[in-house]
Amino acid sequence: MDIARDILIRASQGEAQAFEEVYKAASGFVYNVALRVVNNREDALEVAQEVFLIMHHKLKTFRFESSFKTWTYRITANCAINFAKKHSRAKTVPFEEAGVEGETASEVHAGMDQEYQNQLVEKLLEGLNPDQRACVVLRELQGLSYEEIAQALNININTVRSRLKRSREKLLTLRKQINYEQV
Amino acid sequence: MNRCEHFKEAILTDYIDGRLDKKAADLLEGHLLDCGDCRAFFKQVKETLSPFHQNSSQQPVPPQLWEAVRQGIEGRQQGFLESLFNGLKGWLVFPRLVPVLATLVIMLLAGGVSLNTIQVNRAQEREQGEYLASLIGSAGTSLSAESNNLGTPIEQYFL
Repeated sequence: MDIARDILIRASQGEAQAFEEVYKAASGFVYNVALRVVNNREDALEVAQEVFLIMHHKLKTFRFESSFKTWTYRITANCAINFAKKHSRAKTVPFEEAGVEGETASEVHAGMDQEYQNQLVEKLLEGLNPDQRACVVLRELQGLSYEEIAQALNININTVRSRLKRSREKLLTLRKQINYEQV
Repeated sequence: MNRCEHFKEAILTDYIDGRLDKKAADLLEGHLLDCGDCRAFFKQVKETLSPFHQNSSQQPVPPQLWEAVRQGIEGRQQGFLESLFNGLKGWLVFPRLVPVLATLVIMLLAGGVSLNTIQVNRAQEREQGEYLASLIGSAGTSLSAESNNLGTPIEQYFL
């Protein structure tokens, strides 16, 4: 998500074409993070729209003290977590309701097709709370470093580490349950 | 925390995320060669996280998102201009000016009435003063006249 400084300046001055460039550069990240944290396509669209409206409104006050990337991570994570916490659809689903059906363990090991993996990611994330989900999404799906996650979520690095540890422990348990239900 | 628990915690965080320094990583890898339980745990962690690292986990952005963003921006700009216009209209035309004007009129009327009352009172006081002065004046003369005229025949007899 690299955007030239002059594009950001022009976008902050209200130039529509420059803002469209910003959108093109950031929309993949924004939409995918929103999608995985709220775990619903319609809600993800709503969250992503809100993120870009906030960016459009606040670009005027962006002082380049932090990187644009970090700024975008933070707005996206905040919007997505707040939405997930507010809406019941994104609440943590008990694993019994979130099981993946229709595949056998041997098929899983033989090579999962893309749709299955995508569904598996969805189901695994459903078992986490919004804060854990955001942490896992930023680390596992977007490849952010601990430092970047700490900045995006406004927490310290030790909290990032412990949150990832607990989330992964939970994911291990969920994955075992999925495998068990499939056998 | 025993040795294996310590390594498992490292596997779940710093090792899997490539944050261990070489010395610590070598130590952990040496332990993995010796400990079947920790080796199985490491394999399990890698398998669990592998679906997150597939390309399919990144979804294409729906084209309607840009349209929604564009409309949202236009709506906000329009909304801002409308609210600015309505705010100005409200202040300048109606109805917020009406109570302000009404209050001013009432205050002016009340002020005028009280001024008028003060003036009337002063005029009345002046007139009363003059009247009293005239009464006192006339009383003085009648008293002196009466003092010469001694009144009734009985009074005249005794006095």
